[in-house]
Amino acid sequence: MKRKDDLMLQKVGGQALLIPLGAKVLDMNGMVVLNTTASFIWELLAEDCSIEELVRAVADRFEVDADLAGADVRTFVDDLYRQGWIEI
Amino acid sequence: MTGTAEYGPLVRELHERAAKLNLPINGIFELTFVCNLRCGMCYARQFGGKRSPVEGRELSSTQWLELARQAKDSGLLFLLLTGGEVFLRNDFFDIYEPLTRMGFMITVFTNGCLITAPIAKRLAQAPPSRVEISLYGATAATYEKITGVAGSFAACCAGIENLIVNRVPLVLKTTLSRFNVAELEDMRQMAHAWGLKFYGSWLLARRPDLQGSEVENFRLSAEQCVELESTDQASANELSEAAINGMPWESDYNFYCKAGRAAFTVNPSGDMNVCILLPKPGARPLEIGFHEAWMEVVKYVSSAPAPSSACLACGERVFCGRCPAWSLMENGTLTEPVPYWCDIARARTKRYGRPSDPNPVP
Repeated sequence: MKRKDDLMLQKVGGQALLIPLGAKVLDMNGMVVLNTTASFIWELLAEDCSIEELVRAVADRFEVDADLAGADVRTFVDDLYRQGWIEI
Repeated sequence: MTGTAEYGPLVRELHERAAKLNLPINGIFELTFVCNLRCGMCYARQFGGKRSPVEGRELSSTQWLELARQAKDSGLLFLLLTGGEVFLRNDFFDIYEPLTRMGFMITVFTNGCLITAPIAKRLAQAPPSRVEISLYGATAATYEKITGVAGSFAACCAGIENLIVNRVPLVLKTTLSRFNVAELEDMRQMAHAWGLKFYGSWLLARRPDLQGSEVENFRLSAEQCVELESTDQASANELSEAAINGMPWESDYNFYCKAGRAAFTVNPSGDMNVCILLPKPGARPLEIGFHEAWMEVVKYVSSAPAPSSACLACGERVFCGRCPAWSLMENGTLTEPVPYWCDIARARTKRYGRPSDPNPVP
């Protein structure tokens, strides 16, 4: 899966935000706040990644076990998919 | 992991955070000096009706985009494009369209009169977060008495409808003066009929270039302003709400807003200033770099003198919106009382009572 190119990650004063680009402004009507883990995953999704690769990267980066990382990754990826912000 | 924080509080929190870090999160690009209308109360009026950019006096599209790239690297997120009238620029879309791919939350201020169907359609392909159009009256007679241009009311209404048809996010606002305040309710009804949000502002500033201004002829009395803000939701702007709820005063801090701490403006010639109403310090971002120019603005604000002793000692200060920009426009200082604001503060005190007064006048 890979993120679509009509959202841009902006970091302002340590706060990570997803900003809609182009016609996406009409669908989103605002910005989306990302926490640290979500922001990390979003950056990974610039390249095509599998769930397993994301889980491994999150577990390594935040030094958590794979079960916890897997739950976080699946929650976020489900959210992204529902919103239509990634392509699989 | 994602937050759908309410937009208003999130924006306020981001500005608070940026102000603590001196990040230029909020910027205004005044794309042109010229306007196709000649509203007597306007702080920026340079009627010409001619096309922009004005040769040699206004930045080119390439220069605006270079500025935007540097500003983004320094933290710019909320970008307002205004004028003059931005759609007088022949190259508006040469500036606008690349900006929509840079990750800004863009707002466009316009009078709407030049927004034809093709322009609305092109905007809709990458719409700003919001377009704000000023409505100066509910009838052609009132609207054109203010704008001084025959046919401008119909053109404005057509522009609004073109944006609605193309689903471009749009808010209507009005600048209330003694010439159109009687049509406030009718303007609200027009907005309602179009399905648009509507707000009004009665605060009319003089021209920051200190040129002659007709603003006194347009201003409502202090009593009228306070009556409006206290009885009409659409006329109670953030400033008046802050006044009613108590200004967040720091004891002797002159710049109480986010200007020069999280916000800046760049005029059509490329001078970076504290705000539209305070054209200082005139830093030159395209010559010295955006960050250095921003630092000049921060320094100007942080080293500004405290308000005058008369203002600091005033018992009605909590109800006053005077700031250095207003002092400069009204009396040529950064610090001295502004009689119009003194009148408003007195009228508010009379209406709401002193903050410690348990029995304010209803």
